[in-house]
This record gives sequence, structure tokens and C-alpha cells, in this order.
Amino acid sequence: MTSSYRMQYSKKGPARYISHLDLLRSFERAGRRAGLPLSFTQGFNPHPKISFAAPLGVGTAGEAEYADIELNADLPAAEVFRALSGVLPEGLRLIEIRSIPEQSPSLMAAVDCATYRAVAKLDRPLDRKELDSAISSFMARPEIWVEPKLKAKENKKRNIRPGIFALSAESENDIIILEAELKTGSNGNVRFEQVLEALVETGGLPLKSGFVLSRTGVFTKNGQEKKTLW
Amino acid sequence: MDLLDQILPLVQKPARYTGGEWNIVRKDWDKVDIKVAFAFPDVYEVGMSHLGLQILYHIVNSRTDALMERVFAPWLDMEEKMREHNLPLFTLESFRPVRDFDVVAFTLQYEMCYSNVLNMLDLAGIPIKSNLRGEEHPLVIAGGPCAFNPEPLADFIDLFVIGEGEEAIGDFLDFLRNAKNRNLAKKDLLREAARVPGVYVPSLYRVEYREDGEISKVEPVLKGVPEIVKKRVVRDMDKVSFPTRPVVPSTEIVHDRIMIEVLRGCARGCRFCQAGMIYRPVREKKPATVLRQAAGLVRQTGYDEISLTSLSTSDYTPVRSVINALIKEHAGCGVSISLPSLRVDNFSMELAKEVQKVRRSSITLAPEAGTQRLRDVINKGVTEEDLMSATEVAFREGWQAVKLYFMIGLPTETNEDLDGIIHLAREALARGRKAGARRGRLRVTVSVSSFVPKPHTPFQWEPQASMAVLKERQAYLAAGLRERGLVFNYHDTAVSFMEAVFARGDRRLGAVLENAFQLGCKFDGWSENFHYERWLEAFRQAGLEPGWYAYRRYDYDSLLPWDHIGTGLSKQYLIREHQRAMAGKTTEDCRTGACTGCGLCSGLEVEPVYAGGERDVQLPDAIQ
Repeated sequence: MTSSYRMQYSKKGPARYISHLDLLRSFERAGRRAGLPLSFTQGFNPHPKISFAAPLGVGTAGEAEYADIELNADLPAAEVFRALSGVLPEGLRLIEIRSIPEQSPSLMAAVDCATYRAVAKLDRPLDRKELDSAISSFMARPEIWVEPKLKAKENKKRNIRPGIFALSAESENDIIILEAELKTGSNGNVRFEQVLEALVETGGLPLKSGFVLSRTGVFTKNGQEKKTLW
Repeated sequence: MDLLDQILPLVQKPARYTGGEWNIVRKDWDKVDIKVAFAFPDVYEVGMSHLGLQILYHIVNSRTDALMERVFAPWLDMEEKMREHNLPLFTLESFRPVRDFDVVAFTLQYEMCYSNVLNMLDLAGIPIKSNLRGEEHPLVIAGGPCAFNPEPLADFIDLFVIGEGEEAIGDFLDFLRNAKNRNLAKKDLLREAARVPGVYVPSLYRVEYREDGEISKVEPVLKGVPEIVKKRVVRDMDKVSFPTRPVVPSTEIVHDRIMIEVLRGCARGCRFCQAGMIYRPVREKKPATVLRQAAGLVRQTGYDEISLTSLSTSDYTPVRSVINALIKEHAGCGVSISLPSLRVDNFSMELAKEVQKVRRSSITLAPEAGTQRLRDVINKGVTEEDLMSATEVAFREGWQAVKLYFMIGLPTETNEDLDGIIHLAREALARGRKAGARRGRLRVTVSVSSFVPKPHTPFQWEPQASMAVLKERQAYLAAGLRERGLVFNYHDTAVSFMEAVFARGDRRLGAVLENAFQLGCKFDGWSENFHYERWLEAFRQAGLEPGWYAYRRYDYDSLLPWDHIGTGLSKQYLIREHQRAMAGKTTEDCRTGACTGCGLCSGLEVEPVYAGGERDVQLPDAIQ
């Protein structure tokens, strides 16, 4: 008998640098340390049945990420939470675990958008007006074309503007904080790094450092309404 | 962490530098007397695969008066960023600068890491030469297999620990705490340290040279400093401390699994093999110890694989019952067993079949030489029939690829031996076809390394074959191994040459290392970063000829640069083994044959320990 669980977790500190593939391994090992009866795929190279909502770029923190895990026993969610909480490496922290029906649609298919935050140091303080005009002139652009990260195929430039649902900025002393809501998931994905790169190009922000990134939430969309993945 | 956060997104594999792994130990810096930084002179993925690191980390951090943190060589991109931002080399536990520690302890696994040792010291802001370091700098120490010829690093390392670290480290830390309490100046500390068994302080030895460049004398400059520094040896593998909570990396490393050492040492006596000589005698762990450690480690690490490590795990006398017990206990939760080093014999193949839960695509066999004559010279007790039946079994059991390891440039090698390699490879391929392996998948990979004469082996007196000869032989093999299904790999001859130079080198090579470091040599074990012309330039600047070290045949009565480092092996034994090699005579394993008289048991007062029962042959009381 198998049972499925959905967990919400955060990925911060040193765990930010765990790659997607290594994250799978980290949860598998934690599951074994917790003594949980992990369920494995059959076949040539069995791997644990753990799946994620949307891969997070190496270096970007995640504040409320989701993963589904399948076990070969029907344990109360609270027990799974307790067992797993104590054995995760630094920076990975469980927020909540819930039992989900066995044939639930996959997390990956459910994701439509995500919210992000970026923090950077500035060379000089910015006032509200300057910030607003930088953001509004960027958002006023009808098209924003970006090169693919990997130079796989030529002429694969993409217009990311339709995938930028919202962008705002705050500034305090020499710190700038940007927040965005971007299209995410298997049918279209906009990377925050690309948005920031394009913004810096357009707006000429007086940055002193690179951005420290985090994904603050992952959502499914019902029309205009954003919903968590629970 | 602030600066680090800005740098990390710009480098490859940032997880190498973040720490925070499972089972990491962080101690209150102010409540601990002795702070040790364990420095591994290669990247994180290589260093974290080293069991010795985990053992020492565990032992030191188990003490209340000491702590150990880890540091690895930053990859080129990270080093560039660190230098650009003046970020000194730091440890992964506390992110403190390495220069703030009391001790920086390097492990020397391979000669080609020496440039990294110097580079890491420099990155730490520590003067690379020991005579330029003051009281404010950490004590720089080193151990590991290369410490058995410490001389090329004599200018840079304050003291070496010879032999098995877990045996020596307790005494050494006790000594250090005592010295620190007494506020001993470094000079006095080193003088006293030289009395700790297994500790070699190079600055307390004077080396004199003859006009022809040979060493004429090595002697202590002070009373009480031992003429020969004897290696430390663990007597009881069941009682010695073993890491129960190893650090589990969050990023994939080279050996990403539980490693349980089931025995130490090897009694086979391959004449080229340094490990087989310096880790004597054989000491096996009791099955109960292995099983207890395995159970704890599965629970503490969450790994899905247990590797039973040693120089030759099929020699572990209770291997079969231990494997069966491990499978019974752990296979249910998806944990598999692996045996990294198997011999080419039927017993090994049976074991391989037993442990493979998931079919692996490739199996590795190491006949080392192409003909029976040469295998007898090197004392590799393996026959062609052993190899062929092993290959056939492998293919029949479903492996589709076989890797064969050979060495070229071995003493007495002729073209016939090269033809032997070609013959074995083709024969293995033919057996694969006969056994019905799928044609498209069937593959025999021939990996050929070049013989490097190593200190403390019967071949230590032998010259290395010249680069020109080695290249010629590689080309000969390449021509002979052209066939569908055969793959031929070989090592860079220039790297093997440098390896031989530093393996057999003396103190004068310190100047070369310093020059090489200045010329930017680092990560020389990574072929893409090895710049032969820089090394040649480093030799030119020092006025030394590398060939003199690699290509010279030493006399039995030559004073060797490492003669004052004691492995417990008698020189008579090494000479006798060398002579037997030249005569093509094999020597039996001391477990089944007569005592070979290596001198170790009596010299170090340690006896072999076999967990599977009594030795077949009793040792004589006194060994010549």
C-alpha cells in the first residue's frame, strides 16, 4: 500500500546552492535517515518517488516550495513531518506536510506562476519617483526579447514580456528590493535573472552588487486568482 | 557570508564552498584549546570522497579540547574571485580564515597535489616556506601516503606525521595542548614534537650531498631526534575510532556512498604497489564490527550504497558471510552493497554477482601486465585463464563492458609484453562475443598507465622508462587496439614523469616547487591544468635536471632520500624482492605461504589480524 504526501518547505542558506538533482538526493537521504518507507520506481535504476513543483535555479532561495513524496505505508502526516524535520541538511526546512489523494494531479502540471524577490546594494540612495519611473518605463515596453541561457539553437530569442505579470520596487538607504510575479511551469517559464538583466539595461539602476534572489511563492491560477498548491 | 554570497553565484558548483552538510560539526571556538583545519589539496568532490578525512574529523571533534574544520582547494574560478576580493582561504564549518587556526593539516594522497599545497597556503595568507613563518602563523603539518617520502615538501611543512593518522593524532593533540599551555615558542615546540612517535620534523635533519648529487648523509641536528622516524600503526581495527556520523555532502561527490573499511593492508606483495607495502600488516575488522558500523551508518547518513573498502576486498576472510548479512539487513530499504577493488579470480566474480542488485554496465579488472612472465616479475598472482574466465563470466552475467587496467614501462618490459596486452584485449572481446553480449553494446576498454617507481617498494631502485619510450609504446598499443568494441585510454607521459620525479625526489626539489607555484602551477593532477613547460621552467630556474630523479637507477647501497622514514619493512626484504623480480620469481602471500621476511611484524611489533580464523602459517619468532 502506498500513500502520497505534499510538503511545503523552504530552501535557504547553504541549501540555496543545492542543485535540482541533488535536492532529490537530499530528500531521499533524509527520508532514509528518518526511517521512512520510501517508495521507489521500478526498473533499471530505481529512484524514490519524489517530485517537485518547479525547479529552482542554483543560488535562488525558496521560501515556500512544494514537493510530493510517496511512501509504502499509510502514516499520519504529522508523523512524517516529525520524522523528516529532524534530518534535513542546513537550510532545508519543512513548513507543513499534508496527505493528498493518491491520484492527485502532479505538482508540475499545476504550477502557473511564482513570486520572487531580489535584493541588491546601491551606489547611491534612490527616491520613490526615480524607482517608479524605472519600473513603469520597463513595464511599458510591449516586448522584451531575451537570448536563451544555453546557446542551443539560433534564433531562439524569446519575448518574456507576456510572462511578467507584475513588478514593483522598494528602496531603503542603499538597498533595493524588487518583487515580481512571473509565469512559471511546464507551459512557459520566465527566469527572474533575465527580467532583472533586462531591467538593469533599460532602467540603468545604480547597482553596487549582484542580486540575491529568492522565490517567495509558487502558485496555480484560476482565471485572475492566484492559489497556493495545497 | 556577505562577500561570499556575492561571489558564489559567479562560480561553478558553488555548493563546494557553502558547508552546511548533514552531520557537519560546529564547535564553540572559544571553548576549545586546539583548532585544526584539515586541508585537502584538491576540490571538494575529491576531498570529501576520502575516508581518512572523515576518520580524523570524527576523532578530533570527539575530543572536548579540540575541533577540526575542513577546507579544500578552491577551483580556478573561485580562486580568481577570492584573490580579486581579498577573501582569504576559509573553512566550511565556521568560514573563519585558515590562518586563524592553530594547525593546518594537509593530507598528501598524490604527488601532483603538491603545487596545490603551496597555493592553498598562499591563499590563506600564510608564508609558504616554514622558515618564513612566525609565531602568529599556524603550525603546518602533513600526513598521508606521500609523507613516506616527505623530502620534496621539507621546506614548506613544519612537521609530518608518518603512518596511520588515527593512531598518531591523539598523542599529537595531547602534546600540542601541553605545549600551548606552556606557551612554547615554535622552535622549541618543534624540537619537542620530534620526540612524539611518528613525527618527523624536517628542519631538524641535515642532508649532505656528494659531488655527483647523491645523498651522502642524513642526520638529526639535535640529540633526542630519532635517526629513523617509524610509522604509526593501528593495532586493533575493531577498537580504533571509526566515523559513525560522517559528513554527507549535499552535492554529488566522487565516491558518494557509505565507506566501511573492512581491512587495512594487503599481503599480496605486488612489487610496484606502494600502498601494499606501507599499509602492512593486514588487519581485518571482525564481521560484528563491520555489521554494527554499517547499521549505524545507514541510519546516520541515508546513503543508498555501502562500499566495503580496502586494497583488496575479496581477500577479507569473512567477506561472503558479511556480504550476505548486509544484503539481508539492508537490501529491503533500497541499500546496495559494492566492492570497489576486486581481483581477477573466480571468487571475486562470485562476489561481484552476489552484490550487484542493480546491473552495472561495466566491471573493472586489473591484470596490470600483458604476459605471464611480466606478471610474475611484478608478483601479480593472476593467470591469463583467471582473467579470461572472469571476463567470460562478466559478459555471461550481463555486463556489457569490461575495463582492463595495465601498466606500461614496467621493469624488464619488452614488445612481447605489449603484444600480450593487445592479445588479452582482443581475447576478452572474443569471449564477450562468444558469451553472447550484444554487439552494439559490447566494449572492452584498455586503460594503460605508466609505471612510476615509488619509495619503499621493491621497484624503488628502478628507473622510469623515458617519455619517448612510453609514447612509442602507447602508439604501438594504439595501433594494435584498433577494432570495433575496443577503447584505448592512456595517461599523459609528462604527468607520469613529474610524478616519478617527486615520488623519488629529495629536498632540493623544494626550490622547484616554489618556482612552479610562482609560475602558476596548480591542479596538476587535472590534465587540463597541467602545464609541462612551466614545470620544465621551474627546474631550469632551480638548476636541476628532472630526468636525474626519474631516470636514475639507484644502487642498493645508495642512500635514498626517504631512508630515514621507517615503514617497518627491512631493506633486505625489498632487495630480495627486487632480485626475485629480476629473476622472474614470484613470492607467495604471507598468509598462505611462508613468512616472506618483510620484517614488519617483528620490527613494529604488530601482527597480522585475520578475522576469518587463524593464519595458515605461524610466524617465526625472529625475522631477519
